[in-house]
Amino acid sequence: MVTKVLNWINYRLPIVNTFERHLSKHPVPKKVNFWYLFGALASIVLILQIVTGIWLMMPYSNTEEGAFASIEYIMRDVDYGWIIRYMHTTGASMFFAIVYLHMFRGLLYGSYKKPKELVWIFGATIYLVMMAEGFLGYVLPYGQMSYWGAQVIISLFGAIPYIGESLEVWVRGDYYISGITISRFFALHVVALPLILIALVFLHLVALHEVGAGNPEGVDIEEFVDEDGVPLDSVPFFPYKVLSAMPAIGVFGLVFCIIMFFFPEGGGYFLELANFEEANPLVTPEHIAPVWYYAPYYTMLRAVPDPLGGLIVMAAAVAIIFIVPWLDRSNVASIRYKGILSKIAIVMFVVSFITLGYLGTVTVTETGKIMSIICTVMYFAFFLLMPIYTSIEKTYEVPERL
Amino acid sequence: MIKPLLIISFFSFLLVPLVDSAEGGPCKDYGNCDQFKPDLNNMASLQRGVGTFMKYCYSCHSLKYSRWGRVANDLQIPEDIFFEYLVPDKDAGPYDLMVAPIHELEIDNAPPDLTLVARKRTSSWVYTYLRAFYDDSSTTYGSNNLVYPGVNMPNILAPIQGNQKLGCKEVPVLAKNGGEKRDEFGNTITKEKCGYLKHQDGSGLLNVEEFDEFIYDLTNFLTYVGEPSRAERERMGVYAIIFFIIFTFLSALLYREYQKDYH
Repeated sequence: MVTKVLNWINYRLPIVNTFERHLSKHPVPKKVNFWYLFGALASIVLILQIVTGIWLMMPYSNTEEGAFASIEYIMRDVDYGWIIRYMHTTGASMFFAIVYLHMFRGLLYGSYKKPKELVWIFGATIYLVMMAEGFLGYVLPYGQMSYWGAQVIISLFGAIPYIGESLEVWVRGDYYISGITISRFFALHVVALPLILIALVFLHLVALHEVGAGNPEGVDIEEFVDEDGVPLDSVPFFPYKVLSAMPAIGVFGLVFCIIMFFFPEGGGYFLELANFEEANPLVTPEHIAPVWYYAPYYTMLRAVPDPLGGLIVMAAAVAIIFIVPWLDRSNVASIRYKGILSKIAIVMFVVSFITLGYLGTVTVTETGKIMSIICTVMYFAFFLLMPIYTSIEKTYEVPERL
Repeated sequence: MIKPLLIISFFSFLLVPLVDSAEGGPCKDYGNCDQFKPDLNNMASLQRGVGTFMKYCYSCHSLKYSRWGRVANDLQIPEDIFFEYLVPDKDAGPYDLMVAPIHELEIDNAPPDLTLVARKRTSSWVYTYLRAFYDDSSTTYGSNNLVYPGVNMPNILAPIQGNQKLGCKEVPVLAKNGGEKRDEFGNTITKEKCGYLKHQDGSGLLNVEEFDEFIYDLTNFLTYVGEPSRAERERMGVYAIIFFIIFTFLSALLYREYQKDYH
């Protein structure tokens, strides 16, 4: 009976084929390391964010008067509202943490090398949309940091010559941040951007499944296939990859729960303390700091004294990620077989990115300023010098089989 | 070779504080706040805290995101007793918000709402602040606060705490190497440093230890009201963590079993 129904549907809609192609029988490299688990974890957090987001939306009030109080209503009066909200806030930070590690895996093992350029570009676009999504969501509780953070970010548009000021008004929908701004940010945060995000994740996965997943050796497993065309060094997604993801999900759940149940504020990095006060346009907080996941870019913005210059540097820092597939001229994909220059470069990159992140969360000092300039230069040098150091260094022989 | 370097590079930001000078303490002129460790399962402490709040704070400060019934219920105070002895507004019901009468009038510069004060400023800040008032005849209310210099609030708890003044004390002079400087006889060299709180014994209803406890209970209550689900959250967290430890362990075993297929 079940088979009959399934056949009936499959004749009209290829669900069985799609399921087999993308899930059950999808071949994946048999030997990968823990860096390859973050993609799966990211999709889990995405689902978690969508589900908790829907439930948060029900009691949330997208008005200037009601937004802040409705968050406290969720935290106090809605049954288990606090757990849903903490899942969403912890999830946001975890989403970024996972995506950063996922992207770093890409840099380490060349997950952007031909023919995976589109996978990389869809991924970078997901990251860009996530940054917008995170910012919009951050404004919704309408606390002091929401308000002043939004003030800083929206005023960035004002730095654009000629159209800047009108653009600012257009984004806000008002001459200052008001109820109009909240309700449009709400619409974008819960409808527009999630739709785009889901579409992009779909494209990211379809493109990935077309060209096949990579591995830490940078070996092309498609070279050696059996008579059915299945790579010899691969295993089917189900059950092998699902099972390898399970312990990772367990460890991730453990970390997630430790934060969510015991440190939901993340020491003020996940939920900023100043945001426990309702937005007040008349009082500027002593110290405006972005949430940790934007901090590296915020430091770059501050490193340049001119607002327009800062905006350009910041935009370029994100934009440059998109062209990495064409910056890397190496004949090998994985850092394991690249030369010493690439290895030094990637260490310098991590040092600069993490230091930039740290500097973004603290108040500006003289040494901090100099360090932020040095680190911004290091960040860009990693990308801009990539065509040079990847083409002149001596690489190692990549094995044929995984 | 790359692995250890990469791992080290992830912690490179730790070097930054070494070159940056430390900022002033979070408790302003007081320096670092006194550490406060809440005990949200200590019902007696929370009950004393809500009593203190209603008696001394509520005439000016609201808890406008919190509801009467929730507090009575969480603090295990029977509702009839709670409403008879603690709630001044006789029309208030369990589902009403704890809005102080002063906040029902629309006045400028009204005293702040305190529902989230312990979350915004941390419990340690509240605990230190409430104990850091001192006499200062130069201000409107005749008192000032080391944690919040120039605070626009009278020292409402003065009769209980007693007089506290700013005083000076002898502190050891530190040598360049961080040790105490000594004279040729081996005695510590000291200098006078001012800006310390000096309590006048016996001037208040409570002595210093009793007053600290009194403020502990009040701060404990404010910590509770900042996040009423916190005790439940920490209770549930333990079970969630145990679940994930078992889940990880079992799924790791299953993974190992299946891995044998292709190795």
